[in-house]
Amino acid sequence: MGGAETAARQLAEHLTAECGWEVEVFTTCAVDHITWDDVLAPGDSVLNGVTVHRFRSASGRVRQFYEIDGRLRSAPGEASKQDARTWLECNGPVTPDLLDALGGTDADVVAFYPYLYYPTVAGMDVVSVPRVLHPAAHDEPALYLPVFAATYAEADAICYHTAAERRLVQRIHRVAQVPQIVLGLGVGEVVEGGRSGGEILGIGERPYVVSVGRVDAHKGSAMLARFFQLYKQRHPGPLALALVGPVAVSIPEDDDIVVTGVVSEADKWDLVRDAQVAISPSALESFSLVVLEAWEKSVPVMVNATCDPTREHCQRSGGGLWFGSFREFEVVLERLSTDAGLRRLLGHRGRAYVETYYQWPSLIRRYARFLTTVTERGPRWTRADI
Amino acid sequence: MNDQGAPDTAASAAGVDEADRSYLARVRAEIDDEVRRRRASGDLTPQTESELEQLFLRHAPLGSTRQELHEVLRLVDAAAFIDPVVPVESSRPGGAAIKKGVRSLNFWYLRFVTHQVSKFATATSRALHILDQQLSDLATKVDALEVPPSVVVDVGFAHRTDAWWVPTVVTELEGGRRRVLHAACGDGWLVHLLAATNVDSYGVDPRPGRVAEQELGDLDLREEPVLGHLDAVEPGALGGVVLSGLMEGSGHSERRRLLESATMALAPGGVLVVHSLTPARWDEADAPPEADIVQARPYRPSTWPYLLGELGMTAVVTPGPDGRDYLVVGRRDAAPPRSR
Repeated sequence: MGGAETAARQLAEHLTAECGWEVEVFTTCAVDHITWDDVLAPGDSVLNGVTVHRFRSASGRVRQFYEIDGRLRSAPGEASKQDARTWLECNGPVTPDLLDALGGTDADVVAFYPYLYYPTVAGMDVVSVPRVLHPAAHDEPALYLPVFAATYAEADAICYHTAAERRLVQRIHRVAQVPQIVLGLGVGEVVEGGRSGGEILGIGERPYVVSVGRVDAHKGSAMLARFFQLYKQRHPGPLALALVGPVAVSIPEDDDIVVTGVVSEADKWDLVRDAQVAISPSALESFSLVVLEAWEKSVPVMVNATCDPTREHCQRSGGGLWFGSFREFEVVLERLSTDAGLRRLLGHRGRAYVETYYQWPSLIRRYARFLTTVTERGPRWTRADI
Repeated sequence: MNDQGAPDTAASAAGVDEADRSYLARVRAEIDDEVRRRRASGDLTPQTESELEQLFLRHAPLGSTRQELHEVLRLVDAAAFIDPVVPVESSRPGGAAIKKGVRSLNFWYLRFVTHQVSKFATATSRALHILDQQLSDLATKVDALEVPPSVVVDVGFAHRTDAWWVPTVVTELEGGRRRVLHAACGDGWLVHLLAATNVDSYGVDPRPGRVAEQELGDLDLREEPVLGHLDAVEPGALGGVVLSGLMEGSGHSERRRLLESATMALAPGGVLVVHSLTPARWDEADAPPEADIVQARPYRPSTWPYLLGELGMTAVVTPGPDGRDYLVVGRRDAAPPRSR
């Protein structure tokens, strides 16, 4: 599943492990956010101390979705509520059993993550305890659909990944008065395997830049590979590119590009540690843990200039540079690969940023205090208000 | 400096931070210059430029939602060149050869057509660029006429928990069931005090870095422009709005917009609190520097009942003990909010 699901899982596990909270997860049996097919068994289980309730979906993304999505995409803010509701249901997963169970929960507070799917939109209506929305919003057409206006308006509190995400949401939905927190995620435990990055990649002592995450056209991987190929044509030398993560798009074979596929955590950290630069080519991130993981190892980053959250990380920390075209990519990469002093400075500043804001122990305690105040405040709206 | 005469650590760290930031800004400027130089050199063919630009823009949110003309123009430029060289890759045996043959046979025709389409697209793009340039020039001229954005005036003697006006504010706001906003909240001194008296409050401050560290604490404090924030508040959602250090630092039109937006944000019966310096204080020799910079003087206390009356509020003005400042407490009437 995607970054939002991983983030939800991390928050749940850290709340349990470090704050002693009892956390229950209501989720689907799916492992694919396109089909939402029931793959895992329904029922209850305990995973890393967190109780997980899995429910079958009545439907996943249906064929009609693509037709309605195409129609609404050009002016999503002007879609009718009915069309927007149809879009939501066609996108899936429609989960009546999950909603029934959620309605009967005895939890003190319910966190919904992310805003985009049916369980969040419909789930907000069935719980009577305070509701915390984790939007994980990108600047995407769906965010403007009217079906989500009520979701944002009904939240008793909102937890953002970045201030950029807050600005985006507040530009579209009038929710500035809602109690909120800009939290993000902590960097996980660093587990190094003791191998050199070059050894893992099979490139020996060659310097390399790394991009960690799903190798996917939507994530900018194809664009990065093409930019890097052209960069190497224009700047011959030993520099290589490592694309590290599950592969969803084919990358043309090239002596300078290594596609690793899925690697172990230890290999991932070794690869990041020894990289000259970590590149996040994606324009559609709401947080980007991989940027922070690079900084954890004092590795400077390059990010897509049109991605507000990752660019905000770079601007706030002074730990990275950004590119908004091939020309910028070329100049920035050339500068970084030839200026060790600049790399050190960016890496140092990035690391300080991560230490200040994104360490799990302090971050999860802050989240727990936030949830406590939300619970004490109670639901913002009573049924009579609605 | 500390007792030993060594530089204070925090000050030193701030100095290093400033030096780093200034160096990084210089690096960024050098990168921008180099990008411009290379772009002007024309060392990439139009086909390659177009391909790379389309590749970058394919998944970028440019123009899709933000609707910036120069961003949308990048999409137009990237699509303006129509390539007559049709791709011939094929997954079928011999498919590529057949396609290549068809392409060769049709090339004279395709080139003629695509040349005309490209010419039209380029001319259209050029016209749009001229329009964009003219709009930019116009915007620059309008910017020159625009009232400078408001600044927050730091008033040390009044922006503190033991200031004379603070107990009145707490009394006015306690017991309400809706949230209270303090702008400009600084380090959250008033939000902290209100929270201690069980007033559900939060703060906004537009000054960079003012709330950065405090955001890590338990208070709901945000670095945001005040007007932008108020415009993103659901109408009628707040029980109170406290404005301190804002009225003095803004021009007439911005004051008006701030007050209108604050009024819209208030629920019926909600309280608007304004703390302001007096015009007399503005004229003193040791007045805040903003006294010479901003385009308006603080309003006289007697102006407020009229001003808030126009916004459907009743106002009570309390002068400070030594004539330097005053407090305005306005209350929204019970009528539904007026639409803007």
